[in-house]
Amino acid sequence: MEIELIEIRDFIALYPPFDVLDENALNTLPKKLTIRYFRKGSAFPDLTLNNRNLYIIRTGAVELRNQQEQLVDKLSEGDIFLAENVDDKTSNVIKGVCAEDTLVYLLSYEDLLLLQNEFDDFDRQFNFSVNERLRHAVELSHSADMRDLSAMKLKVSELTDRQPVIVDAVTTIQESAILMTNEYVSSILVTNNGKLVGLLTDKDIRTRCVAKGLGYNEPVSSIMSTHLETVLDKTLLSEALLLMTRNKIHHLPVMKDDEAIGILTTSDVVRHLSANPTLIATDIYKANSVDALKKISARLPELQLQLSLSSSTAKHIGEVFSSITDAITCRLLELAENLYGKAPVEYVWAAGGSQARNEQTSHSDQDNALIISDELQPEDEKYFENLSDFVCDGLDACGYIYCPGEAMASNPLWRQPLKIWVKKFTHWIHSPEPKALMLSSIFFDLRPVYGTFSLFTELQNNVLKQTKNNEFFISHMVGNALTHQPPLGFFRNFVMVQDEKHKNTLDVKHRGVVPIVDIARVIALDNGIKATNTVDRLDAAFKCNALSAEMHGNLIDALEYIGSLRIRHQAKQIRAGLDADNYLPPEELSGLEKNHLKDSFSIIKTMQYFFESRYPSARIR
Amino acid sequence: MMFDALFGYNYTRRKLLKKTNSTVMQEFLSNPFPNKKELITNINIVSLDFETTGLDIKKDRVISIGTVNIEHLGINLESSSHQLINANKKLPESSVVIHQITDTQLTDAMSIEVALPILLKKLSGKTMLAHNAKIELGFINKMCQELYGSNFIIPVIDTQYLAQRSLERQNKISKSKELRLFNLRKSYNMPAYKAHNALMDAIATAELFLAMITKISPGNKACLRDFLS
Repeated sequence: MEIELIEIRDFIALYPPFDVLDENALNTLPKKLTIRYFRKGSAFPDLTLNNRNLYIIRTGAVELRNQQEQLVDKLSEGDIFLAENVDDKTSNVIKGVCAEDTLVYLLSYEDLLLLQNEFDDFDRQFNFSVNERLRHAVELSHSADMRDLSAMKLKVSELTDRQPVIVDAVTTIQESAILMTNEYVSSILVTNNGKLVGLLTDKDIRTRCVAKGLGYNEPVSSIMSTHLETVLDKTLLSEALLLMTRNKIHHLPVMKDDEAIGILTTSDVVRHLSANPTLIATDIYKANSVDALKKISARLPELQLQLSLSSSTAKHIGEVFSSITDAITCRLLELAENLYGKAPVEYVWAAGGSQARNEQTSHSDQDNALIISDELQPEDEKYFENLSDFVCDGLDACGYIYCPGEAMASNPLWRQPLKIWVKKFTHWIHSPEPKALMLSSIFFDLRPVYGTFSLFTELQNNVLKQTKNNEFFISHMVGNALTHQPPLGFFRNFVMVQDEKHKNTLDVKHRGVVPIVDIARVIALDNGIKATNTVDRLDAAFKCNALSAEMHGNLIDALEYIGSLRIRHQAKQIRAGLDADNYLPPEELSGLEKNHLKDSFSIIKTMQYFFESRYPSARIR
Repeated sequence: MMFDALFGYNYTRRKLLKKTNSTVMQEFLSNPFPNKKELITNINIVSLDFETTGLDIKKDRVISIGTVNIEHLGINLESSSHQLINANKKLPESSVVIHQITDTQLTDAMSIEVALPILLKKLSGKTMLAHNAKIELGFINKMCQELYGSNFIIPVIDTQYLAQRSLERQNKISKSKELRLFNLRKSYNMPAYKAHNALMDAIATAELFLAMITKISPGNKACLRDFLS
């Protein structure tokens, strides 16, 4: 070691992972380095260097961004960055720009490996630093994404959904009032030769016209507010709110290129900020008509957006939405009972599918069944038909569209006395025909919602007794569960949806969520597990040793990860004013997210192989 | 050196090569220097710094030589070297204070007769980089004359000259203080090295030059001639 490089050695020795190296390794390290200089604003790392290198920042600052151009990390003095091969497709896609003139020490990958091999501590420290950085990047990109979407980061234009009602300054007060009544608005804009000159509100008519005894035929210009605060369409909601509070105003014209494109009102803001499940549930129980329920359910996409902003887990969001659907169902049944009178015999309304599993989102169709007491008389059938039609029609009006497979109580086949249901299930279990199996996700995921729950319990006990350890039935169910498979590779050989509407997207529901849901159902039926929620079923399976600890943990992680991507995708769509769906465009994913998704798919694949080999006859199908 | 400007350093090199009988000089001069039109990115540069007993080339002597190579705009520390020179002359106290080299250390040092051929071998066919290069050039030229009876020639990049030129182009008068290595580095957001020895200064000069290249030639499209003194 030439003592002259002591200054470089001393610098490196200060920072992890190098701080754990011994004296000798530290002394020989400077000679292995190359010094490079990056001017402020230049790309980092240097992509013209073909070798993998470890960058050690000597002075300066580098901003690292992910594929979505989000700032994920900032490097400064003493930080390290492992630059991958440019042509390595699996390399991290985090790239940077030098925020300042930056001087770096480069260590070749070969020399790095030598250090890692020779010093266990260094290896651990190094992996820790790099992993920590990656994990940090994931967390940051996650929260950055959510921050983007958070309420206060919304732009006012995203809340003003209707064109403003505009009148000319010479319009009379009465004409304006009639227009406001017809348009259901509490405020209108007043223009003169196309130029915005004022704002008229209900309050202005009350205080400046009626209270003062001013004639209705006076022009609006005589009573409008002329000291106008306006906001630009791209103003942040938080700024607009501040302006409204500071000036004690309730209406803000929203301008774009000198033209008014809307009026932001305090009630818009309140509505936006109050999408809250408890409030919604309270409103549901107060609703007195299908129309009122319909209005409440229109707030559900907003609720989903809010919940995903608050970083709720996919499981939690599923529970919230299912409980709201339960509440709407119960309210509709109460309304039906008010309309048609009390039921002649006992019954239970059972939800099927995702509602039963507590895995709904705002975008779900309805699956349900009516289990009626065996005391049912032929003359009572009309009552239950009316009741079921009322509820199914009401659910459809609220956005829970009719089940495409007709698995609804309004279908006579799904509205039966208990003994018929027992017979049906017995038939399905002993001669599992393909068509019956196709509906298994509905009728083997049933949960009582309203009525006499004991009717349901009786049916469930009977069914589970027949399915438990039933090799024949279970192997058919496994075969059915394997029909939905995760994609094998990624993106290049990714099986994308190819129909016109969803071209080049990934159906995360059928390729990620459904395979896990299907297998969890099979395990539940095989082991007599009563739970319907997928996570609960996996937990119960683990407890009764039907699932290894490893597979249990992996499946739950994979389900939550895929679920969270799905929720985020839907939040983006809702915010953009689109209908939420399950078709994820790969561009929405960062490189790291792609890697995680890939891991999740491989977990599902492993699980499917396992069940395939355990039930060989399932493969024939 | 004068012919340099007229005919180019390779012309001078060939002239000197014809005249000299010294094998050391023949070896040094036989490798052609790079073409002036070559991209700066492709030029192999040796950054050089001497510590001396003083600035009088006639009386003073070189007491240490620091060198480091720049290849493809990266400073290759593996190539770095620091060589103490036995000056056969007692060190004046002032230079001991600056360089922290004591007489005892110098006894372990090499004689210039051994050190100079090693340096010339490193410089052969390369471009030399120094801060205020006339000191290094002057000492090498004098030593070559004394030991081999020949003049010295090499393409030279001088960071002090580049800084001065840049200030003059902006119609600013350069103060000698601003042109010091330490102050120039500071203006480029570079760390201040505490150690003051020939190698650290050679590295410091090399780093400064890398920074200057990005300023003079942002896309690294400049040629060697854009930097020569």
